[in-house]
Amino acid sequence: MPPYDGSPAKAHKSVVTQTLDPSRLAPEDAFYAHSPPRRQRARSPLGLDGAARGDKSEVTRRLSERRSSGRRRKSQWRKLLWVKQSYPDNYTDEYTFLEQLQRNPQLRPYEFWRLVADSTAIVQHVCSVAIFICCFTGIFQERVSPLVIVTWGTTGTVLGWGLWDSWVTKADEKEAAAKAEEVARRVTEGEDDDSISDSGLIMKERKTPSLELTRSPSEEPARNGHAVPTSPNGATFPISPSADNSSDGFATHEYDSMDEDHLPWVPSRAQQRLATIKSALLIYSALLGLSPILKSLTKSTTSDSIWAMSCWLLCINIFFFDYSSGAGAKFPASLSTNAALMASTVLASRLTSTTHVFSLTLFSIEVFGLFPVFRRHLRHVSWSGHIMLTILLVMGAGAGVGVTVSGGGWKAAIVGCVLGSILMVLAMGICSMWLIGLQKYKNEIHGPWDPARPIIRRRWD
Amino acid sequence: MTYRIAMVSDFFYPQPGGVESHIYQLSTKLIDRGHKVIIITHAYKGRTGVRYLTNGLKVYHVPFFVIYRETTFPTVFSFFPIFRNIIIREGIEIVHGHASLSNLCHEAILHARTMGLRTVFTDHSLFGFADAASILTNKLLKFTLSDVDHVICVSHTCKENTVLRASLDPLMVSVIPNAVVAENFRPRQPSEPLPPSSHDTITIVVISRLFYNKGTDLLIAAIPRICSLHPNVRFLIAGSGPKAIDVEQMLERNVLHDRVEMLGPIRHEEVRDVMIRGHIYLHPSLTEAFGTVIVEAASCGLYVVCTRVGGIPEVLPPHMTTFAKPEEDDLVAATCHAISLLKAGKLSTHRFHEQVRDMYSWTDVAARTERVYDGISGVLSAEAFYGARTPGDAAAAAAATWARGRAGVTSFALIDRLKRYYGCGIWAGKLFCLCVVVDYLLYVVLEIFAPRARIDRVRDWPRKAPGLDGDHDAPRARRLRNKSWGN
Repeated sequence: MPPYDGSPAKAHKSVVTQTLDPSRLAPEDAFYAHSPPRRQRARSPLGLDGAARGDKSEVTRRLSERRSSGRRRKSQWRKLLWVKQSYPDNYTDEYTFLEQLQRNPQLRPYEFWRLVADSTAIVQHVCSVAIFICCFTGIFQERVSPLVIVTWGTTGTVLGWGLWDSWVTKADEKEAAAKAEEVARRVTEGEDDDSISDSGLIMKERKTPSLELTRSPSEEPARNGHAVPTSPNGATFPISPSADNSSDGFATHEYDSMDEDHLPWVPSRAQQRLATIKSALLIYSALLGLSPILKSLTKSTTSDSIWAMSCWLLCINIFFFDYSSGAGAKFPASLSTNAALMASTVLASRLTSTTHVFSLTLFSIEVFGLFPVFRRHLRHVSWSGHIMLTILLVMGAGAGVGVTVSGGGWKAAIVGCVLGSILMVLAMGICSMWLIGLQKYKNEIHGPWDPARPIIRRRWD
Repeated sequence: MTYRIAMVSDFFYPQPGGVESHIYQLSTKLIDRGHKVIIITHAYKGRTGVRYLTNGLKVYHVPFFVIYRETTFPTVFSFFPIFRNIIIREGIEIVHGHASLSNLCHEAILHARTMGLRTVFTDHSLFGFADAASILTNKLLKFTLSDVDHVICVSHTCKENTVLRASLDPLMVSVIPNAVVAENFRPRQPSEPLPPSSHDTITIVVISRLFYNKGTDLLIAAIPRICSLHPNVRFLIAGSGPKAIDVEQMLERNVLHDRVEMLGPIRHEEVRDVMIRGHIYLHPSLTEAFGTVIVEAASCGLYVVCTRVGGIPEVLPPHMTTFAKPEEDDLVAATCHAISLLKAGKLSTHRFHEQVRDMYSWTDVAARTERVYDGISGVLSAEAFYGARTPGDAAAAAAATWARGRAGVTSFALIDRLKRYYGCGIWAGKLFCLCVVVDYLLYVVLEIFAPRARIDRVRDWPRKAPGLDGDHDAPRARRLRNKSWGN
């Protein structure tokens, strides 16, 4: 190529040497044909060599011959547009074509037992829905008193809440201890760091806004009248706010904004308990007042529509339920929860008295709103407890379905229990195997054409 | 050998853009080489009927229902009657569709094959394989490209992408890059001095639509850091889009209004005037098939800092560019590197313009496209077109038949076409076959009820003899034009 005389090349020698890369070319390469080292493929990915013409060994020999002689005769093909090459436009270089193609780069082969273990979360939810339906049928057919159900449900909920509360307290204490230790370590490290590095300047600048940030939420509830005094804060929580802030300031480099938001002031356990009890009472009395309205809300709709609708709503609940989130999530998957509560509201209108309606709605709140939170925590805290609960739920659901379907007594319950358990175990096994089998169809293609994911460090949010 | 070519795409002037100017420039240069070219697009607001552009380039603006971003509603068959009419009227031999999101182009290729014409498709963009929109587009592309004679891609990365998306034989895909009209992107002349304040500052130019996939987030993150590291660096941002508000917020937050100038949307003619005000062109895009704008920037004598994505690494030689990973830190580092090179006087950008002019020209693109037309019309032998093996041995003959047996090389027979479509998928294959059969029946019906004999043939715009310069036959052309349009 005539335009590239030596001058720009010489002028940019430093550029070229600094970004020396065998896959890229300097202007001289356009006419000095020395080929950069290129790793060879064991096999042509296109199957161009020979597959169509039968005689594979002969063709590959000729190809390699052509390549070796071609290196002398004409320059090697390069994946560049700005060099005029002596190859036709539709030339396909068998050795570099689709070289950067990645198939299933993040493939994690599933393990059978892990899949089965993970599927217990789904089984638990399906079983609790089944139990709810059985309870409704029992109330509807007036075989069970709604008061019995709601009493059992509430007792279970209170027990569960107690357990949950103790776990959360324990976790908080552990976290606080870890944090205090961390802070102590940081302070000692940071002191000698502060004096020499100029990053200390940035930290000091950052201190003021983070102080404001942590103060404001503590003042807000007080203003809103939630009767939260700020003084016992320091007593229950081992770290005073000032220590928090200093740790925050030093942690700017390691921690992102998530931690900053998470860190500030937490109301003490006792207050939280009080608030929970208060809101529980509030919901209880509101429900009591609302149940006559709920009872007549969909009275004018025919029963057929109600059955169909509640069926769909419960399906939505099962399909959109958030099975994956950990213990931290408070009320995820609002669509799922709302669908379930709406189903129970719709079903409640088929019942005869206000007490029935009240009991069913309260029970549904317990089953669909609070029980999942407990299950999530249980899975997080104790795996054996989780398995126990699963077995209990499967057996309960089996028994309930057995009794509901046959209308019989203990015998039906036991048969249902056994059948349900067997069915569940089979379903879990078969579905897991199925998923593992389906994995061979996974074909995810990635390459240089994918939009890049920009990596940005957020500093000012 | 000269051809009568119809370029079909949803995207054409008055809408500005890369595909639009590609079609226009390619058509003009093909006309200069003695071919007849018409363009078929849909009616734009205030632009209907038949228009003539410079050089006798005829544009049909077909009335069509536009659904989204100037793309017409996909109806598969409704375009056929008017398309057939235009094709017969103009005596078209080759239909050349552009842009994979253009419905008009897909329909035209399908109908052209039904009518027994040669078809070429040019792909201008990259698509992923993961999201639902891409899957749908890819399936449609597979449908159209099951029976196409040749495909042109603008970069090698684009070729790999298209081959995978449409399951094509890589030998029937050519790589012909875009080009720039170098005369429109001359560097700053001595008669055009920089604004007085900017003699000691380094100006970084960014011209891009401010969308997510153009990397505006990276830009927003990098600008404050570059500004704080280099006090004499200024930015010039042209373009608009949904991310413009984020850029404004970044400016407010960092109080950079005096150092970052936002010009808003600019016309393509003004790009050069903006570019010559700067020293470095920054291109933080996240995906790009070719990246014409970086070639334009280099042609204006700007040093280019760009992300290493898509087809961009193929486009410019290393002495014109610094590449960065699509990461904030790396982009800042690359820009600082470029700034330090510029400060040290290690960049001599004064020859960029001549170099770019020799690398990319539309005349070259037209010549290479002509070779594709030669190949699919059988002027070039299959051996010569689909990669010659060593001549004179038995394998050459085998290769020739093997090439001829490939999709879309010779056969127009309906059964052969159906075979090609059937392989598209378990359900899709059958659906596509159904579409093709219906299309064929529609063609037969049209032949009966609107026979060819009843369609007027237009007189061609006087063609230039190949190789003659425009001035030589201008008087003759004018004379002829008066004759044919006088009545």
